[in-house]
Amino acid sequence: MSDSAIQTLEAAAQILMAPPNLVTPEQRHQAESVFLEFRTTKNPYQLCREILEKSTSEYVLFEAAGLIKAGLIREWSLLSKEDTSSIREYLLNYLLRKENPPFVKERLLQTIAIIIKRGSVDDGGRERKALLAELEKIIVTPPISQQKLACSLILAIMQEFAITVKTADVGLIWEVHFRLKKSFETLNLKRIFRFTIGVLEQIMRSGHPPEGEQAMLTKQLISIMETILCWSHVSPLLSKRLIGAFEAIYESETAPALRLNMNWRDTIIKPEVIALFFELHIYVRSNPELTNPSLTCLVQLASLSGVVVSASNLKQQYLEHYVNNFLRMLSFIQPNHREMLGISEIYRRLIQFFTPTLIAGTPPAFLQYLTTYTCHCIRGSIIEEGLNEDTVLREALNKFLHTWSSLVHDVDGYTTETLQNPCIEVFNTYLQCRLAPPDGTRGLEAKDGCEEDIKDDIEEDERELHNEVLMTIGAMARKAPAHCCHLLFTLLQDRSKRLESQLQLMHTGKLPVSSADQLSMLFEDLHWILMIIGHFLSMDGSGEARTEANIPPELMRYSIRENANIDASLRYLVGETATQDNIDPIVKLIGLIIRINEWECAALEAGFGGVLSPELSATVSWLLKVWANSYLMLDPADYTEMSTVLECAFRQESEGAAWAVRRLAKRAGFVLKHLSAQPVAVKHVVQLLAHLAYAYPNRNQLANCEDFVALVAWEVSGNDLPGNVRKELHKVFARLASYTEGEAKNCLVASTAALQQKLLTLLNVQEDTEPVRTTLADILDCYCGISEGMLEIATMDEQVTMLFNALDKIPGIIFKYHNYPGVVLPALNLLAKSAKNAMHCQDQDIVNKFVDICHTTFEVYARWNSGKISSIPQDVEEEAYDDIIALMELVRWLSCGTGGSVHGGCARGLRLLLPLVTPSLLALPTLAHSAFRLLRDLEQADELTNLPIQDFNMVIAALRIGLTAVSSDVSTLCCETIGGLSNKAQAMGEDNRYSAALLSLAQLLLMLILKMEIPPDSIPAAGAAIYFLTCVRPSLLEGLARQVIEAFAANDPTNVPRLEDAFRLLTNGVLFDGYRPHKIRFQDNFDKFLSSVHGFLIVK
Amino acid sequence: MGDIEDTHFETGDSGASATFPMQCSALRKNGFVMLKGRPCKIVEMSTSKTGKHGHAKVHLVGIDIFNGKKYEDICPSTHNMDVPHVKREDYQLTDISDDGYLTLMADNGDLREDLKIPDGDLGTQLRSDFDSGKELLCTVLKSCGEECVIAVKANTALDK
Repeated sequence: MSDSAIQTLEAAAQILMAPPNLVTPEQRHQAESVFLEFRTTKNPYQLCREILEKSTSEYVLFEAAGLIKAGLIREWSLLSKEDTSSIREYLLNYLLRKENPPFVKERLLQTIAIIIKRGSVDDGGRERKALLAELEKIIVTPPISQQKLACSLILAIMQEFAITVKTADVGLIWEVHFRLKKSFETLNLKRIFRFTIGVLEQIMRSGHPPEGEQAMLTKQLISIMETILCWSHVSPLLSKRLIGAFEAIYESETAPALRLNMNWRDTIIKPEVIALFFELHIYVRSNPELTNPSLTCLVQLASLSGVVVSASNLKQQYLEHYVNNFLRMLSFIQPNHREMLGISEIYRRLIQFFTPTLIAGTPPAFLQYLTTYTCHCIRGSIIEEGLNEDTVLREALNKFLHTWSSLVHDVDGYTTETLQNPCIEVFNTYLQCRLAPPDGTRGLEAKDGCEEDIKDDIEEDERELHNEVLMTIGAMARKAPAHCCHLLFTLLQDRSKRLESQLQLMHTGKLPVSSADQLSMLFEDLHWILMIIGHFLSMDGSGEARTEANIPPELMRYSIRENANIDASLRYLVGETATQDNIDPIVKLIGLIIRINEWECAALEAGFGGVLSPELSATVSWLLKVWANSYLMLDPADYTEMSTVLECAFRQESEGAAWAVRRLAKRAGFVLKHLSAQPVAVKHVVQLLAHLAYAYPNRNQLANCEDFVALVAWEVSGNDLPGNVRKELHKVFARLASYTEGEAKNCLVASTAALQQKLLTLLNVQEDTEPVRTTLADILDCYCGISEGMLEIATMDEQVTMLFNALDKIPGIIFKYHNYPGVVLPALNLLAKSAKNAMHCQDQDIVNKFVDICHTTFEVYARWNSGKISSIPQDVEEEAYDDIIALMELVRWLSCGTGGSVHGGCARGLRLLLPLVTPSLLALPTLAHSAFRLLRDLEQADELTNLPIQDFNMVIAALRIGLTAVSSDVSTLCCETIGGLSNKAQAMGEDNRYSAALLSLAQLLLMLILKMEIPPDSIPAAGAAIYFLTCVRPSLLEGLARQVIEAFAANDPTNVPRLEDAFRLLTNGVLFDGYRPHKIRFQDNFDKFLSSVHGFLIVK
Repeated sequence: MGDIEDTHFETGDSGASATFPMQCSALRKNGFVMLKGRPCKIVEMSTSKTGKHGHAKVHLVGIDIFNGKKYEDICPSTHNMDVPHVKREDYQLTDISDDGYLTLMADNGDLREDLKIPDGDLGTQLRSDFDSGKELLCTVLKSCGEECVIAVKANTALDK
């Protein structure tokens, strides 16, 4: 019989593997069903043995291996110890004597590993120990094919025991997985480690080079080592969630640190063990396949921590051994790119896991190699940037810089004197690589043309892209401030003078404007010098974080040490003198930057906007923001030591600070006017302006600047700026208005008044034309900015009144322009963005007024949009999409409000949304997420159970869709909503219509859980939902169980008793009272229930 | 966008220009623009540069508002683009002739019979809804001399 079965399978396999032109779809379909049926075969072991022995089809062998594995998991409890042992022995024997394709071999090895793991539950690891001993014997005796196989099996077993939370081996609950892992760690891991070391040592001593079969065996042995050293030794005290997070790290690229207990002290600390790993690397490094695992071993050993080295002298000894061997290896090799990455990781880990004092005590070569390699990686990574391919050296550089960052910040590590020269070397190298020849080397590697070196296809903002690297370069530069400050000043002065004179020549007509391309070299140099200066002057390259003392202490001390002439410095700063004697170096640098700002403005005014670089303009704005964040309006009280020059120049209320704010405000006006169509320049200058507006709430100088007042007037009078920029500007104006008083405030409020006037004029215009609509959309966006800029809505002051005047118009606007999504969307957005402030207002009249506006808006929107059918479905979906997102945001904020009318407004909004949110819209992930979050929030705000029953049914229909969504966020939100609703339904009683509608979800939910169609992350929420649903109707679970059992009995009556048992255990000792203790007990039972049911119902 | 007081608003009716100019950088997503001579709705707008230190160009992707075809164009951000005048007006559907022409009534009571029943699902739905006696409101899209019905909804406005 089995012979004919094998023939059928082989014929089907042949059809499946045949090219599409040789078989019909029907034949293929039939062949597939042969295997689908084969996979459900009961007690398949004898049949599979025969297949393994007789079949020559690789596909059939693969399927047979899979069937043994699935069968074992499914039928484990029905098999005797002898059965499983005999299968296990047979499989090992089979693998040792018969060569198989790797995919078959892997499946069979995993099957043996699973047998061993499941067997360990009962025999405490006896069989496992015996097998491992057997494997050790095989490994030390040729033939090499068997040695390799034994290694593979050890690896398979380790893999099976390593993971507990996300294991594929269904059928065991997590606690058992975890117990088995701990037992494996204690009983077997160290033994495997010692044994493998011995074998590796023999291989190295044998003198054979790592080639051919020998190399493959060595690779497997090193992989065993790698697995042991990357093993996550998780404390049993942690929660399952945390352990899951740890195990996720284990599977990711960076392994967790090597944390070992006392048990390992006699093994890992030994100097000869460390030496052996370094020797091993030198031995294998010529073979690229072996380099990675051997480097990983070295990296892991660099992170040794935990109780095993708790005594400080042990730690010191270990570090000494490690570093000495490490340096010896470095003196011996010329690292290739891969090795560089490993070495950088070793440095990073050593710095991370050993104290700065211990690190500072290492031989000088340690720091020397670090410096040399960092410089090497700087050069290499910049070449990589140009090639756009490999990023190995860039990754290595990031790790080296990470190390440097720790070194320069650790106070009890290396002294500044020791670090100074290495820092200068790294800084100079970086600068050189970024500058054009002759000072630098930029572009020398590029083969053709000088333009090649300037990369222009970068999507990300340059200043953010290089932020991390430059932050460390800046910190290193501050270790040698005199050298770096002087160098940066000289370079900046030189390049800016050259650029200035080029522009002069163009201005006087001596140089054709068309030669602008030649300027890009200078632009690029300046761009980099300014970026480096920004990171040198400030510790925070984003200019966002404003802490109390932002001036880096090294620069403060440097300025104090220089003790320059105050008057001369201030005169230099504002450009009254050009002499550079006795001038504070920091002030000198800042003065130069502001001078560059000045001539950029002059050039813009002279009509050179088309020649200047928007990118460079952006960098100047960015640098000014970063500088302002640290230096402008400094408060001496924040610092323990203070440079008098810096204090005189930039402290609050100083002439210098006010002067600087005026310069920056002027800059904003020029850039916005002349570079309005250059997004990058505009973005950064608006950020600069926003910084000046927000950062100094109580002592704002901006609103008093003439240039700023002019800018406000210019914006209000209309311009070519993109809508989103105008919105940002109005946000800045509104925020500033809430900070200021008097004349300054009047000017800002007047800007809103002017906008209001324009809105009213526009709404009175009879013609309905495209320009009217575009202007209207722009104005609504500006209002949106005003609304976001307001800190709060407290009373009906002038600004709030004007906002509400605009909000009041929204229903009318939507009515008139209902056919124009370009107007409707900004109008809805304005309402949604204002909702937060309005709902947090204490004045109930304002809240009511806002809710009234929303209510009318909902009515108008519903009138024109419900039941609408359009010609281009995808188009209408897209239009509806943004509207619906805005409406949902609005309803969500309404649900946060309190007071009489809020509830009605919220319910009206929800009733409007329910029919609009169609199943096809819910298929869009972001919309689905917002929609179900809204439902969950509304449930928590008690809004859902107050809906009319027909609307409530729509909620239930939406939940039905959400439960079957693939996203775990969405299904979790749905389960949470169901749980919350059940709590309320429990009080209403099970016969209530709302409860009945809700309970109709229970069967779907349970079936989804049983079929594992709920995402794993949502399982806890789903369990809780089932519990709370049962609380509504205590007989629910029993009824569902009967239905499930009947459904499964039809397929396979043997499962019935097991299912009955499982359901009995599920409700064992649980009271369905809706209280926490019983919910928790139910969830524990639920976990066990799932692992037992999934074990035999579903085998993936 | 230019200042409102200074802008001369074209009505888009016969005799007036079918388009008006606008600086490329000031165009809005979801707004309209002429691409390859066709009125389009802007569905995507991104900027790139001519070289790292060069000036911005705007990459526009638009969907033809009449036939849904996709068009693309790239233009320096400082240049002007043509923006079509677009109108969407609602009409009450009063009759469908045997040869497939709609009889539509505007808000002011004017009748027109020059538009055919739209193609595709929308047309089928329109006819079956009309046949079952529903009061229908048709949205007519008009731009650059072309016109067609793009949406239908049951006229709830009549009940209110």
